[in-house]
Amino acid sequence: MSILTTVLEKIEARDPQHAAKIRENTGGLGPDYFAMANRFFQKYQRYLEHQGLTLDYGLDRYLRMHEAMIEERTQFIRSGEYSNGSFAEVEKAVYANPEVMEYHMHGLTLAQFLWFDQYERIRFFCDHMLGYFAKGSRYLEVGGGHGLYVNEALELLPLDTTVDLVDISQTSLTLAKGIVDNNRVNYHLKNIFDFSATDIYDFVTIGEVLEHVEDPVKLLGKIGDHMTDTGVCYMTTPINAPMIDHIYLFRNEDEIREMIAAAGFEVVLEKSVISEKVSSKKAALFKIPVMYAAFIRKIG
Amino acid sequence: MNQTEILSQITDVFREILDEDALVLEASTTAQDVEDWDSLTHIVLVVGIEERFKIKFGSKEILAWKNVGEMCASVSEKL
Repeated sequence: MSILTTVLEKIEARDPQHAAKIRENTGGLGPDYFAMANRFFQKYQRYLEHQGLTLDYGLDRYLRMHEAMIEERTQFIRSGEYSNGSFAEVEKAVYANPEVMEYHMHGLTLAQFLWFDQYERIRFFCDHMLGYFAKGSRYLEVGGGHGLYVNEALELLPLDTTVDLVDISQTSLTLAKGIVDNNRVNYHLKNIFDFSATDIYDFVTIGEVLEHVEDPVKLLGKIGDHMTDTGVCYMTTPINAPMIDHIYLFRNEDEIREMIAAAGFEVVLEKSVISEKVSSKKAALFKIPVMYAAFIRKIG
Repeated sequence: MNQTEILSQITDVFREILDEDALVLEASTTAQDVEDWDSLTHIVLVVGIEERFKIKFGSKEILAWKNVGEMCASVSEKL
């Protein structure tokens, strides 16, 4: 039995309705999805075992994160705003709270393949990243989270590429390092704003980070400072997606495009995926989360 | 407010949010009986009911209801 099947059966035993929704949403994704999901989940399971843990530990945390997400969504529908408006609030409630960070990060790790819009993000990345990396030699990921993106980048990038991953969270770095388990990656526990002017990259990935800051234009502008003139950045951020650590609310694609332009970038290629199998009209009406991803480059 | 009145007001909320004027709810109605009532619209419906009755539900409560009848009973308890 594949590990993805095992994961789904375990979720079904605990939350049949949620399992049915996952099966409905991921059922038509095809063999590439199952292959990538099983490959990554095997690495995740190996990491858990090295920690003396089991897959059930990860699933417990996934279901807890899902429950927290429903609470955040209820609050979001009530107020029209995310529950946290500042980095200080999130730092206190999440980043400085190891127990919360633990369930949140393990939950997100499994969500990469249990939520079909998350899979569409990594698929979009894998299908196009190498074409934009071209003859580059330096690759950076900002906010590596669970390590999925750097894990897949390692499969695609030439062996002599310098691969750096920077994150402000020790929990995230430990998880990414443990899952990826590859010494080609240089891990930095650091804030991108502390990078030196000589740290320049040909390709930067920043997935699901911009919604975690108060000023996404400033962060994206800083990314631009560390890119070559011909460099490309892969960025993703969600619309109407309340989570315990989300601060900046993008209400539609146009607001994201305006943020990209204000940071000095232009969109080369973009993709939006509604997180449920509904029309865009219904998604807007019910404020259903939408995943937005784009390859962008500096203007002029 | 009795159960019939609560059910009538909840039906109004469902009709308004799901844009389904002919929708009829009964105590035994479940999400499977209503085309657009799924896990995401559920929260919008719940918040609509909260606003209608000026009450608030807990997150565990809103996930525990098995049918409209249980939803009406929760409203009744809070009025």
